[in-house]
Amino acid sequence: MADAPQRARGEAQYTADVLLPGMLHAALLRSPHAYARVKKIDVRRALEAPGVHAAVGPEDVEALTDEPGFFGAPVAAIAANTVEQARAALELIDVEWEPLEPLLDPDEAVRRGQLTDEPRRNERGDFERALADADVVVEGEYRTQVVLHNPLETHQSVCRWEGDTLEIYTSTQYIWGIRSRVAKQLGVEPDNVRVVCNYMGGGFGAKNDPGEYTYVAAELARRTGRPVKCALTRREENLAAGNRNATIQRLTVGARSDGTITALGGEFVNAVGWDGWIAPTDGPMQTLYHCENVRTVTYGAKINTAPMKAFRAPGYVEGTFGLECLLDELAARLDVDPLELRRKNYAHSSNERPYSSKNLMECYRRAEPHWERRHELRTRSDSTWKYGAGLASQIWYGGGGPPSYAWTRVGSDGRITVITAMQDIGTGTRTAMAQIAAEELGVPLDRVRVELGDSARGPFASISAGSSTTPSMGPAVRAAAADAKRQIIEIAAQRHHLEERVLDISDGNVVSADGNLSSPLEEIVGLLENAQILGKGARGPNPTGMQVLTFGVQVAEVAVDVETGEVRVLRVAAIHDVGRVINPLGASSQVEGGIIQGIGHTLSEQRLLDPATGTVLTQSLDAYRLPTIADVPEIVCELIDKPDEHLTNLGSKGLGEPPIVPIAAAIANAIRDATGADIHSLPITREEMLRALEAAKQKQRGAPAAV
Amino acid sequence: MTINGVPREADVWPGESLLFALRERLGLPGSKNACEQGECGSCSILMDGTLVCACLVLAAQADGHDLVTVEGLGENGSLHPVQEAFVEAGAVQCGFCTPGLVVAVADLLRRDPTPSDDAIREALSGNLCRCTGYAKIFDAVRIAATRA
Amino acid sequence: MELRQPSSAEEAVGLLGNGHVALAGGTEIVPLLRDGLLRADALIDIRRAVPRGIHGTTIGAGTTLAELEVDPGIPVVLREACRLAASPQLRAMGSIGGNLLQATRCWYWRLDFPCYLHGGDRCHAKDGRHDEHAIFGNDVCASAHPSDVAAALLALGTMLRTTARELPLAELYRLPTTDDPQTTTLADDELILELEVPIPEASVYLKAMDRQRWSFPIVGVAAARTAGEVRLGLAGVAPVPWTLTSVDDLDRATPLPGTAYKLPIARALVARALRAVATG
Repeated sequence: MADAPQRARGEAQYTADVLLPGMLHAALLRSPHAYARVKKIDVRRALEAPGVHAAVGPEDVEALTDEPGFFGAPVAAIAANTVEQARAALELIDVEWEPLEPLLDPDEAVRRGQLTDEPRRNERGDFERALADADVVVEGEYRTQVVLHNPLETHQSVCRWEGDTLEIYTSTQYIWGIRSRVAKQLGVEPDNVRVVCNYMGGGFGAKNDPGEYTYVAAELARRTGRPVKCALTRREENLAAGNRNATIQRLTVGARSDGTITALGGEFVNAVGWDGWIAPTDGPMQTLYHCENVRTVTYGAKINTAPMKAFRAPGYVEGTFGLECLLDELAARLDVDPLELRRKNYAHSSNERPYSSKNLMECYRRAEPHWERRHELRTRSDSTWKYGAGLASQIWYGGGGPPSYAWTRVGSDGRITVITAMQDIGTGTRTAMAQIAAEELGVPLDRVRVELGDSARGPFASISAGSSTTPSMGPAVRAAAADAKRQIIEIAAQRHHLEERVLDISDGNVVSADGNLSSPLEEIVGLLENAQILGKGARGPNPTGMQVLTFGVQVAEVAVDVETGEVRVLRVAAIHDVGRVINPLGASSQVEGGIIQGIGHTLSEQRLLDPATGTVLTQSLDAYRLPTIADVPEIVCELIDKPDEHLTNLGSKGLGEPPIVPIAAAIANAIRDATGADIHSLPITREEMLRALEAAKQKQRGAPAAV
Repeated sequence: MTINGVPREADVWPGESLLFALRERLGLPGSKNACEQGECGSCSILMDGTLVCACLVLAAQADGHDLVTVEGLGENGSLHPVQEAFVEAGAVQCGFCTPGLVVAVADLLRRDPTPSDDAIREALSGNLCRCTGYAKIFDAVRIAATRA
Repeated sequence: MELRQPSSAEEAVGLLGNGHVALAGGTEIVPLLRDGLLRADALIDIRRAVPRGIHGTTIGAGTTLAELEVDPGIPVVLREACRLAASPQLRAMGSIGGNLLQATRCWYWRLDFPCYLHGGDRCHAKDGRHDEHAIFGNDVCASAHPSDVAAALLALGTMLRTTARELPLAELYRLPTTDDPQTTTLADDELILELEVPIPEASVYLKAMDRQRWSFPIVGVAAARTAGEVRLGLAGVAPVPWTLTSVDDLDRATPLPGTAYKLPIARALVARALRAVATG
C-alpha cells in the first residue's frame, strides 16, 4: 500500500493525533435515560470548575437535545484545558430530568404505529395465489441483533475558526458531505468550511455524517476562540455512534416440488431506533432469485434506542441471513442440493432493468470444488464434534457513480501527482488511485504520488461508502491521467515532428510506434522547464437503464461441539464478481476483513440493553466481543476478474461490502448441515446453539407422529 | 525513564496514564488510544522488554524503566523488518491498530523466531483489528520471521 | 491522588487502608479508577513489597500470569488457566494475587447500577440481562466470578499466606449478603504474599468462552487429582470461585432463565475434566 509505511511506523496523522496550539478538549453530557425530558439545565457550576472555558446545551447546538430519545443521547458539552477537566465538570451540570417510559420492543412499536417512516411495500405478481398453488411452503422467523461498528479510531473532530472560515479535522468517510452539512447547519458559505482528513481509523458506514461531536467542537471553538477537539470515548462510541439495527424477519417461500420458487414473501421489522432510515432488509428477497410473485413489507420501528447508521451493506447483510437460511430449509424439505436449488432459480435477467454484467453462475461453478469438500468433511464427525458445510449467495450494489473529479499534475521531473479531495478510509484508496494513474500514463508506480484528504486542496470527490470509492473515483483519475497523457504526447509530437497517433507512453518513456523514438518522460516534460502539465478528469455517468450490481457466493465449513454449543468456523471460500480487480492484494484483504467482521456478527457480537431502562450494557470491548486473530478461519478468496464492459472506462465495481453479505447464512447453513439444527437468530451464542440443537432433537423425536 | 534508547523526563500528575504521557507530553503519538481499558492492544509497547498496554500503566510507575514504542522500532528512519513485512504483506488497512501490532509481532519474534500459526494466534490475540480480517497479518509474521 | 512505592510488605501494610488502595499489575485497578468505580486518595504500588517468582511449590503473589504459564514446574491446570485468562498483554502485566481479587464483570456492577454489591437493595441482573451470570450461590447477587486462575487454585487445594494469616483459598471468598456486599475476607490493610500450591498427579482446565481467546469464562472447569482424590473448581458460575464437592452438586444448581444454558456446558466440561484426570 502506498501509505502503509507511514501507518506502520506510527507516523500517519489521524484526527486522534491532531494537536493544535491552544487546543481545548470537549466532553459530552449524555442522557442516562432512554427517554426523558430535560426540564431544567444549568451549567453555571460547571463553568466555574478548574480549566473550564465554555459550555453549551440544547439551546446552543441543534445536535444537542432536551428530549433525549435514547440512552446516551447528547445533551450538553463542556470545553476545558484537558479532557479530564471537561469530564469532571460534566458532573457539575445541574439537570432536572423527567424520565419517560421507554419503548424498546420493535414489534410493539409497529403495533402502535410508532414508525420512523411509511412502511415500504413492494409487490410483484400474485403472491397469495402462487402460495396457494405451491407444492411446498416453508415459513420461518429470523432475528438479527444490533451490532456496533467499533472502528479502532472513535468518532472525533477538531474545529478551529480562522476569521470566518471553519477548519474541521475529522475522521470521516465523506469530506464533502461534512463540508456541505456543516455549512448548511451553521449558515456559512461552503467555501468557508475546510475539511481535512488525511488518515482515518475505520468507519464501516458510521462516519458519513458530521455527528454531534463536530457541531459541538465548532460551537465551542467559536465561543472560546480556541481550537477544540471533541473525541468520543470507546464507551460513547458504543452508545451513540451508530449501529446495524436489529431485525425481525417473518419469511415465506413457496415452491414446486422440482425446486422452482414460485412465491416469496416477507414481513421485515427494522428496529431503526430513535432516528435513521429503513435499510433494505427486503432487498435480497426482491432481487436475488428469479421469482414472479414476491411481496414484502418493511417497517421502520421507532424505539428508544440509539439511531442506526449504515453498516457495511446495510439491510442486505440482515436480509440475506434470513432468505438464504430459508432457502436451505426449503432445500432440506425438498431434498434438493442447496447449490442446485440456487442455480435452478437463477435470475438471468432482472425483473426491471438489465444487469450491466452478472457472473454469478461463474461464481457458482467455481464454488463447486469447495462445495464438494463437504462429503469428506462430514466423515470427520464423532459423537461430540459435528462437521458440515453451508453456502449462501450474495447480491449488492457497488457501481458507484458521478460526480467525482481528479487532477493529475506532471512536473518537469516527470513525477506525477494525483490530486483529489477524497478520503482514504483505510481501504487502500491511495494505492488503487496511484495504480490507475500509473497504468493510464504508462509510468512505473513509484513515480506517482496521491494527495488527498483536504477540501481546500483538490476537487470534489465522492463518499467512501456503498463500495463506491474505486468505481466512483477510479474513472475520474483515469480520465485525468489520460488528459495529461494527451498533452504530453502533443508536446512530444511537436518536438519530434511526429504524428500524435504514433506516440505512446510506456514504462516512463515516450515511444513511437516504429521504435525510433524512446525518450524519458522527464525529457519531454522538461522542455517546459518550470511549467506543469495539468490533466483533469471527471467520473462519467453509469450506463443508462442498467443495474450495476455485485454478486458472489461463499462456502463455509464449521465444526460444532454439540455438548457445549461451541461453533468453530474452519474455512470460508469466498467467490465474488466485482468487475475488474485493480489491486489484488488490497482486494483480498477487503474480502478477509469482511468475512471476519461477518463472523463477529454471526457468532460473538451483540449490543445488549437492560430491558427495563434501555441502558446499553455492552459498552466496553470486553463485553462487546470483536473477533480476535484466534478466531480466523482459513479463507480462500477468488475474484472473477472480468471488467464490466458497460461500466465506465474502468469496469471496476466496489468490493468493500460484498464479502460480509453472505457469511452469516453460510455459517448457519453449515451448522444445519453438521447437526440438523435450524439457526433462526444471530448471534449464534452457546445459548442459541444449544437451543437449536435441543429443538432439532425434539423435532426428531416428534417426527414419527407427524408422518 | 528511557524511551527508545533516549533518557526522557515528563511532568505528570499521579493518575495519568503512560499512554497519555507518551502521546500528549512526549511527542510520541504512534501508540494509539482506542479503548483506554487494556482491551484492544492499540497502545502496546515494550516495558523492560515486556509487552504491555500503555493505557494501563500509570506514567509515574514508568519512572526508571526502559520503554520501546513503535517509533523506536526502526533505526535511522528505516523500517523495522516487521514493519517492512506488514507493508509487503498488505497487512495494513486503516492502520490504527498497526503500531500496536508491529510492537507485539516484534516481541513475538524475539521470543519465538519461527512461530507456528497457533503461536501467532496466541501472541496476537490481544491486538484487535477491525479492518484486515487478520489473514494478511499471519502473512506478515511469516515474512518477518524469514528475515529476522 | 498520589502514588507511593513501598519497598517492603510491612511498609505497604502501614500505608494501606483509609482510602489508600494497593496497585500491582494495574489491569483491574486502573480501569476501575478511570470508571469511577473505585476511589483512592493514594495508590500504593506494591510491586516491590510482595514476593514475585516461583520457588518449588511456593508462588509469590506478585508473579505474573505470563510467568506462571510458561513454567514447567507449575501444574497444568494452573498454566492453562493463566494462558486462557486474558490477552498476552494483560497476562504479562497482571499478578496472580491481583487476579484472585478481581471484581465481577457483571455489566450492572461495572456500570455502577445501585446493586447489592454497590450497597444498593437489589440485583439488577436478575430482573434484567444475566446471560453471563451465576448458576450457583445466586440467592442475593447473580454476578459471576471471572477468575480462571482461582478455579484452578481451588482444584489444587491452594493455601494462601497474607500479611495477617494463613488460610485455604476457599476461605478468601464469601458470598455477598444483603447486609455485607464483600466477596472476599481480605482486610483493607492486608496483602496476599504467597501461595502454596500442591503438585497434583493429574490436572486439567477446560474453558467455554465466546471467542477462541481473550474472553472471560462462560464456564471454566478445573480438575486436579491429588493423592487419588479429585477436586473440582469452577469459574464463571457463582459470585465467587466455586468448589464442586461432587458431580451431584450440579443437580443443586439454581440457574436463572438466562443462565440455564450454562448448566449443560458445565456438565459436559466436568465430565470431560474428570475423564482427563482419571487417566492423566
